Amino acid sequence: MAQASGVDALVRLVGVTKHFGGVTALDGVDFDLRAGEVHALLGENGAGKSTLIRILAGVHVPDAGQVHIGGARVQVRSVAAASALGIRVIHQELSLAPNLTVAENIHLGREPARCGFIDRRRMAEDARTLVHDLGLDEIADVRRPVHRLSISHRQLVEIARALSREARVLILDEPTSALSGPETDALFATLSRLRERAVGIIYISHRLEEIQRIADRVTVLRDGRVIGTQAGGHLDERELVRWMIGRDANLADASSPAEGVASAGTPVLDVMGLSNVRLRDVSFSVSAGEVLGVAGLVGAGRSELARAVFGIDPVDAGEVRVCGHRIPARNPVASIRAGLVLVPEDRQRDGLVPRNSVGFNLALPWTREWNPDFRPNGRRRGEIIRRAVERLSIRVASPHASVLSLSGGNQQKVLVGRWLEHPPKALILDEPTRGVDVGAREDMLALIRSLTTEGMAVVLISSDLSEVLRLSHRVLLLREGRAIGIMPAEGASLEHVMAELTGVTSP
Amino acid sequence: MKLGKLLLVVAALLILFSLTARNFLTAENMLDLAEQISVNAILAFGMTFAIIIGGIDLSVGAVLAVVGTTTVFVLSRGNSTSQDPARLALSITAGLTVAAAFGLVNGLCAAKTAMPAFIVTLGTMLVARGMALRYNEARPIQVATHETAFLALGSGRVCGVPCPVIIMLGLFAVMGVLLHRTRFGQHLYAIGGNREAARFTGIPLARHEVVVYVLCGLTAGIAGIISTSRLYMAEPGAGEGFELNAIAAAVVGGTSFTGGVGTMFGTLIGAIIIGILDKGLNQSRVHFSWQYVVKGLVILAAVYMDVRGRERR
Repeated sequence: MAQASGVDALVRLVGVTKHFGGVTALDGVDFDLRAGEVHALLGENGAGKSTLIRILAGVHVPDAGQVHIGGARVQVRSVAAASALGIRVIHQELSLAPNLTVAENIHLGREPARCGFIDRRRMAEDARTLVHDLGLDEIADVRRPVHRLSISHRQLVEIARALSREARVLILDEPTSALSGPETDALFATLSRLRERAVGIIYISHRLEEIQRIADRVTVLRDGRVIGTQAGGHLDERELVRWMIGRDANLADASSPAEGVASAGTPVLDVMGLSNVRLRDVSFSVSAGEVLGVAGLVGAGRSELARAVFGIDPVDAGEVRVCGHRIPARNPVASIRAGLVLVPEDRQRDGLVPRNSVGFNLALPWTREWNPDFRPNGRRRGEIIRRAVERLSIRVASPHASVLSLSGGNQQKVLVGRWLEHPPKALILDEPTRGVDVGAREDMLALIRSLTTEGMAVVLISSDLSEVLRLSHRVLLLREGRAIGIMPAEGASLEHVMAELTGVTSP
Repeated sequence: MKLGKLLLVVAALLILFSLTARNFLTAENMLDLAEQISVNAILAFGMTFAIIIGGIDLSVGAVLAVVGTTTVFVLSRGNSTSQDPARLALSITAGLTVAAAFGLVNGLCAAKTAMPAFIVTLGTMLVARGMALRYNEARPIQVATHETAFLALGSGRVCGVPCPVIIMLGLFAVMGVLLHRTRFGQHLYAIGGNREAARFTGIPLARHEVVVYVLCGLTAGIAGIISTSRLYMAEPGAGEGFELNAIAAAVVGGTSFTGGVGTMFGTLIGAIIIGILDKGLNQSRVHFSWQYVVKGLVILAAVYMDVRGRERR
C-alpha cells in the first residue's frame, strides 16, 4: 500500500516515531508529499506537526521509521543535510538577524565570496534579482536593515531566503499569522507559481478558509498520529475540526458578541487625540461591557496604538482616561493601577518570563498580595495560581512546569489569566488568537464574551478580520496611523471593511 | 554612535587638551600617544569580536601577564650572553601558544557548555593570573639587555613610528578584513543578532565561537609580548584591569553589548578616545581620582547614545 502511493512521492514518511523522554511526539506516522502539490498539515498545538517538520528539517532524528526523499531512503541527520536535499523551512518564529540587511539575511550562511572575501555588490544584485523574480517588491530595498521592516515584510525576506537556492520541498509554518489579506493573496500567488515549478509545499495553518483556498490535500494530526487525509477543493470543515479536537465543536456558537450592554454602558476607556511617530490623532472610547475591535492592515498601527495607550511607547500629544481619570503617559505601572491592562502580541518577547514556571508567570502581577513585607505566603500564591488555572482551564500538569512547555494557546491563557485575580476595568488584547489552536481559540473567544458580560471594557486587536467583526460591538478602522472611522460591527461586511482599510472605497 | 560623531569627539578632545596642556598637539606627543594606545587597542580588537557575538572575555588582562612571564622565562633559559634568533622565535611561539590555549579553553567552555562567557572567562582570568605569579615567586623577571631584537618590539621605531603602533595597525587591518570582508565576519554579526537564526541557517555556531575566543586570546598574547618588551621585564601583576579598558574602548566605539553591532574602525577610535582622555587629563594635571570619574562618565554617555539610538529606530 505504501508502495503504491510512494511511486511519485517527493517526500514519503513511513512509520515515523519520535519520543522525547516519556512523551511520544510522533507515533508511526505515514505521510507523503507529491511534487507540485500543497499539502496542508492541520492539528492542535502539540499534535506533532512541529516534530514532523523538525524531522524533515534535520533538527530531530526519528527513533523509528523511514524518510524517503525523491524515492531514495535518506537519513536527515543535520540542518545542513536537509538543506542539501533541497528542503526549506520557514519557521513560525521568524529567524532573521535583525541587525543585518535584507540582502545579508537572504544570503546568510552562504554569502557570495571572491577569494574568500565577501562580494557585497554581487550579494545585493543577486538579492535584488531574486526579490524581483518572486514579485516581492515590498522588500526591493535590499540594503535596508531587517529591524526596520514590519513583521510581514520580514516574512517575505524569509521566503526569499528559502527560495534563494534550488528548493524541492518548502515547509511553511503558519506563514499568514502575521499577514493581512492582500499580503496573504500575494503569498498564495507566489505559492501557486512554485507549484507550477513542481516544488512540494507543506503548509501549516489553523485557518480553515485559507486551507480551502490553497491546499490540494489536507492531513490532520492529533496526539502524534495521522487521523485522516482529505482531498482539497471540497473539504468537510466540520469533520476536519472534529478530527483535530477529537470532539464536535459548535462553530456557529462563536459567532456573536456578548448580549445586551453595548453602547449604553458608561465609558471606561477614553482615548483622546493620541499622536506619536506612528499614530495621528486617534480618539475612541470603550464602555463597560463593550468589545471594541481594532481593524487595520499590517503596518496600520494597531499594535502601536495598544502600546501607546497602555504607556509603553512615548506619546507626543493626546491623553488617555480610565473611568474619567487621566493616566500619565508612558507609565504602564500607573495604567495597571488605574485598571488598564495590555496583553501583548509577542508572547515570547513581551509577555512571558520564559525560563520560569507557569505558576511564577501567573502569580507575577500579585507579588504584593502573596509576598507582603518580604514574607512569602505560599498558600495565598497557590490560590492565585489555582484559580487562574481553573478559570482558564489551562492544560498543565503542575504549576511548576516550565511555561515554555505549554502550547501556544495555553501560553496565551497564562498571559490573560494572570490578570483575572483582580480583573482590570479595561483590557487590551493584541492578537489573542495568533498561533493558537482551534480548541484554545474557542476558549479564548468564550472568555472574552464572559469578561464583557461581567462589565469589562475590551479592546480586541486581530489580523483575522472576520474574528474582529464577529466578536466586537463596534470596530475602529485604522489606516496609516489614523482612525478613519468607527462603525457598528453588526451588519458590516468583510468586503466593505477591507475596502475602507485599503483605501479603495468605491463610490 | 555614528563614526562621524566619534571623529568629532576626537577632534573636540584634541582641541580641548591643546588648550589645557602644554605641548599637547606636537608630533612627538602624538606618536607617544599612539604608542600608549596600542596595547589597549590590540586587546579591544579581540574584545570587539567577542562582544559582537554576544560574549565577553574578562581573561585578557591576566593572559597578557602570563604570556609575558612565559615568554621571558623561555627567553632567559640557557646561559648565552648574546641573542639567539631561534630562542627568540621559540619564546614568542611559547607565549602565543599559551595565549591561544587560554582562548581555546574559553571558547570550548562557552560554546560547548551552557556556562556563560562572563563566568568562564572570570574563572580563566584567575587561573592565568595565578600561573603568572607562579613563575618567579611573583617577582618580575628582567629581560636581559642583550636581547635587543625582543626589546625592539616594544621600544624600537621604524621610520620614526614606534613598533607597537605598527603592530597595532597591522592587526587592525587583518582583523578589520576578517570582520568586515569575510563570511566568517558576516556570520559573527548573525550570531550576535539572532543566535537561533544563525543556528537554523546552518552556521557552525560552536566553531565560530571557539575561533573568536582563540583570536581574543591571541590578541592578549601579542599585547603581552609588546608590553613586556616596553617594560624590559615580565611583571606578573601586569594587565590588571586591562580587560575593562578594552571593553570601554569597544563600547565607546559603538560596539553594542546586546551583540551583533560593532566595527573595527569604531573600536580603534574608541581606544583613541580613551587614550586621549588618559594622556590629556594627565598632562593637564588633573588629579588621577578625577580621571577615573571622567572616564566613567564618558563610558556612560557612549552606552546611553547606543541605547537611545536603538530605541528610536
